[in-house]
Amino acid sequence: MRVFSSTCTFDYSWEEVSAANWRKYCPWNDKSTHVVAVDTLSRAVDIETGILRTERLITCNQSVPQWVLSLFGGSATSHVYEVSYVDPSSKRVTMCSTNLTWSNVLNVRETVVYQPSSPNPSSTTEFNQEAKITALCGGWQKIKNKVEEASVERFSQNAKKGREGFEAVLEMSRRVFSEQRELDKTKLQS
Amino acid sequence: MSASIAPECNSIKEKYDTCFLKWYSEKYLRGNTTSNECDELFSKYKKCLNIVLKEKGIESMLEDARKSMKDSEAE
Repeated sequence: MRVFSSTCTFDYSWEEVSAANWRKYCPWNDKSTHVVAVDTLSRAVDIETGILRTERLITCNQSVPQWVLSLFGGSATSHVYEVSYVDPSSKRVTMCSTNLTWSNVLNVRETVVYQPSSPNPSSTTEFNQEAKITALCGGWQKIKNKVEEASVERFSQNAKKGREGFEAVLEMSRRVFSEQRELDKTKLQS
Repeated sequence: MSASIAPECNSIKEKYDTCFLKWYSEKYLRGNTTSNECDELFSKYKKCLNIVLKEKGIESMLEDARKSMKDSEAE
């Protein structure tokens, strides 16, 4: 098993980040082009805690190294299952995801947490990501190592792109939101 | 918004996503966690999506993932 982790801080409030997170993979994000579809499978608010639980299916299309394809077959399209929790009272978003495709070869478990970041918790948000990657193909340690290495490498490339793309989404969200507010104001005045 | 895995569901998905995001930022984050104004759009979108998930064999993969995720969901 290998562990990939990364952390960063966004200069946006937790409210902005948690809202923009729902459209992280929209066209404003021109970096994470490997994500081709994001579908919501279920969504519910827990009455007691107010926690919003969402299940999503994320579909990716990315080039797989040729040696992987020739070893395991398969196609370039892969699916990820994600369960997320938004806790508005403690201001915390937790997202857990696992791969649906290649699951007999590789197990990827990712946990992402967004929470207000100190020392400026009202205007900055901390992002923590951890992925545990385990190759499952029996016996061949050398191949397992190679599969894990290649996966971590790809994971870290995608994480970097995801961060950059999300920055663009955050910026656009803020702009559109303030334009909308201006528009509402003029409507009220007229 | 991002696309759906099923192109034929894109337009209803777009409507639902827009409704949800509005509810999320204007109501949910402000403490009103109970309203269900997007439910109707969601059930239409889900109806469209479920057909494709079955066709593509994703439904059964999801069942397995749900089972294995339950253990780590103790949070």
